[in-house]
Amino acid sequence: MLSKSQARLFFIGGTIFFSTIFILLTVDTVANIDPRQHTENLTKSVIHGKQIWEAENCMGCHTILGEGAYYAPELTKVVDRRGKEWISVFLRDPEAMFPGQRRMVKYDFSDQDIEDVIAFLAWIGEIDTNGFPPEPDLMPATTITSVAATSASEPPAYFNNVCVACHAFQGNGGNVGPALDSVGQRYTRNELDLWLADPPSVKPGTAMPNLNLSDATRTELVEWLLTLK
Amino acid sequence: MKFRSQRVAYLFFATSLALFVLQIIFGFIMGFAHMGYDVLHEIIPFNAARTSHINLLVLWLLSGFMGAAYYIVPEEADRKLYSEKLAVLQWAALVIVGVIALIGFQFGWWEGRKFLEIPRPLDYLVVIDVLLFIFNIGMTALRSERFTTTGSVLLLGLTAAALLYLPGMITFESQVIDSYFRWWVVHLWVEGVWELIMGGIMAYLLIKLTGIDREVIEKWLYIIVGFTFLSGILGTGHHYYYIGAPEYWLIVGGVFSALEPLAFLGMALYAVTMARRGGMRHPNRIALFWTVGCGVMSFVGAGFLGFAHTLPQVNLWTHGTLITAMHGHMAFWGAYVMLVLGMISYAMPQMTGRKLFDGWVPEWAFWTSNVGMIGMTGAFAVAGIAQVYMERKIGMDFLAVQEAIEVHFAGLILAACLLTLGVLMFVWNFIQYGVPSDEAIRDS
Ligand code: HEC
Ligand code: HEC
Ligand code: HEM
Ligand code: HEM
Ligand SMILES: [Fe+2]
Repeated sequence: MLSKSQARLFFIGGTIFFSTIFILLTVDTVANIDPRQHTENLTKSVIHGKQIWEAENCMGCHTILGEGAYYAPELTKVVDRRGKEWISVFLRDPEAMFPGQRRMVKYDFSDQDIEDVIAFLAWIGEIDTNGFPPEPDLMPATTITSVAATSASEPPAYFNNVCVACHAFQGNGGNVGPALDSVGQRYTRNELDLWLADPPSVKPGTAMPNLNLSDATRTELVEWLLTLK
Repeated sequence: MKFRSQRVAYLFFATSLALFVLQIIFGFIMGFAHMGYDVLHEIIPFNAARTSHINLLVLWLLSGFMGAAYYIVPEEADRKLYSEKLAVLQWAALVIVGVIALIGFQFGWWEGRKFLEIPRPLDYLVVIDVLLFIFNIGMTALRSERFTTTGSVLLLGLTAAALLYLPGMITFESQVIDSYFRWWVVHLWVEGVWELIMGGIMAYLLIKLTGIDREVIEKWLYIIVGFTFLSGILGTGHHYYYIGAPEYWLIVGGVFSALEPLAFLGMALYAVTMARRGGMRHPNRIALFWTVGCGVMSFVGAGFLGFAHTLPQVNLWTHGTLITAMHGHMAFWGAYVMLVLGMISYAMPQMTGRKLFDGWVPEWAFWTSNVGMIGMTGAFAVAGIAQVYMERKIGMDFLAVQEAIEVHFAGLILAACLLTLGVLMFVWNFIQYGVPSDEAIRDS
């Protein structure tokens, strides 16, 4: 059996040995990190985005790279998932996008701040994370069979970026609002135009937010919605 | 109690328990928020509650370790504390920094890096405060004729913990590197140097409570902390799998972190064997309960539940889910909360000269709080497994999953009520002991 001094030697020797290896691996990690994290894309905007991320303690609700809190969605791939446009609309008024849901803080961000936070999130999304977050590998419990509505033309980009978060179209999208597959049957051009311009003024208390659409986008959306019969 | 100056430990223990109760309040706020009752959102949003919850935990554990050191080091050095006044000053500074930090958190004055949220200016004060502490107990040790292994391991752990706070104070532009060095603090604390502190305090308690020969206990102490570092240092790699660090961390982290439970198994076997060999002769049975319980529950929480998600194949799916919260609660509870409560249970009768360890209150405090914590771990586990399957394996929407698992947070809150009841009984017992008295010195 070991004596006490041998046991001490084991402790001291082991500690020195493994600390040395750890420091060598750290040197190697730091030296080889550039291609994995695309250091060349670490712009001023990204760095400012990180500062906002820390100043507001977004990690106190969200995880990023799997680290943080488990109260709000994991954000490593959020730019892939939602797109920049959606996020910038969302950050202006988070509750409007998820009415009646778990609440995020509403921040007074400037346009520049929002752009920088998104730049930061986009930079995070490009990191080589060894495959995290993983693709779901079990079949969804219910496979959504898309409605045969081949006659409809491709939706405008804004619809795919923002509206789908709440509305389903051909079986894909959110369920905060109703599916829009046959909305053209129910409303006239005028009604749709008024609705998109400012939903709460048409129907006070509605969960659909005023998205401050530009005239061009609104017209494009209305024309497309009218084709959905 | 051998020396009058050991009584400063009382201030630290009282602070610990007060902050512990506060920590639990913030825990309830979060539990309710998860259940869908985020009623305090406007005043205390989730991130403020969480930051307060985990930083209070770290702060009160550190306060407990400091109290333990002020109590143990003079005895192991066989001389009075270098300076009692300095210790009181250091205590006051700690409390002031803690209170400012806690108030600051409620107003968004924080760093937004999990576990290291204390803002930079306060970090410097923390460092100064800890240096004062190390200086005080270090001088006590240096001025003594002989200093024991137990004392040295404790002192080494405390000094190393202070040094490892520093990497957390560097600013990095890259989130990857930031996170890499954040773990130097968080992981190398709880799975490295804090285990030295744990080993030291536990060895001290076992020597006092079981009457087994110091040489035997201290030999095993070296072997166990040897294992801690052998596995725990490179085991840091289990946090480097998916944050952008190189691929070899999957292997290094996987192999070495899988060995980490051995150190905790060692700790558990050691506590149980010594307690059985020594018999339950010491009248303060409840302190022995906490000490042995600490060995056993740290193996369950850190060793077993840590192992459950430490292999990269598993961690890919569980990383950053409620599974982590399950492990975090039981590990902190078993290894560090029970340790500090054990130390308090042992030291209070010694410091006050009142022997209030026999009644039903301390015993029920032990069982109720432990059953509560086991229940909480179970609730987090069920919620976590459901989350991993629905969100990660099937790909359901985050918020839809959270709604589906709300019910498990009702379970969490029920169990948390038990835990809280136990903790309040412990606090009540502590209050009944009163303050240290000089008669206690003559007693022992
Ligand atoms: C935050 C979620 C949300 C977003 C984003 C959103 N909507 Fe809505 N929308 C709703 C809700 C909820 C309703 C139901 C309103 C009601 O009845 O109160 C609705 C109703 C509608 C209706 C009427 C549907 C019917 O069958 O009565 C149309 C048309 C519509 N939305 C179009 C859009 C378009 C186009 C966009 C993108 C520019 C959009 N919505 C973005 C939530 C949203
Ligand atoms: C109080 C908790 C909280 C804080 C703090 C917080 N969030 Fe959120 N966040 C949420 C919740 C909850 C959601 C889910 C959507 C909802 O219900 O609003 C969310 C959703 C999001 C989303 C959309 C994710 C998706 O996949 O739909 C983004 C992007 C986001 N947050 C970014 C941020 C950023 C950036 C910060 C810091 C400036 C931040 N959040 C701070 C709670 C929070
Ligand atoms: C007393 C000792 C321990 C304590 C107090 C502890 C506590 C924690 C905490 C609080 C976290 C969350 C950290 C964060 O995300 O910021 C964590 C994560 C983790 N712990 Fe431990 N732990 C201990 C020991 C162990 C051991 C021995 C193992 C392995 C066998 C282990 C494996 C892990 C893993 C794999 C994670 C990462 C989880 C994830 O990917 O989200 N832990 N631990
Ligand atoms: C009333 C009792 C308690 C309740 C209701 C509670 C609840 C919670 C909740 C909901 C979280 C946040 C999880 C998330 O991010 O969504 C959390 C985090 C945490 N709590 Fe508690 N808690 C309680 C007591 C404790 C105790 C006694 C400890 C110490 C042993 C503790 C240690 C932690 C730790 C370490 C974390 C961070 C975990 C991680 O990030 O993985 N809590 N707690
Ligand atoms: Fe770890």
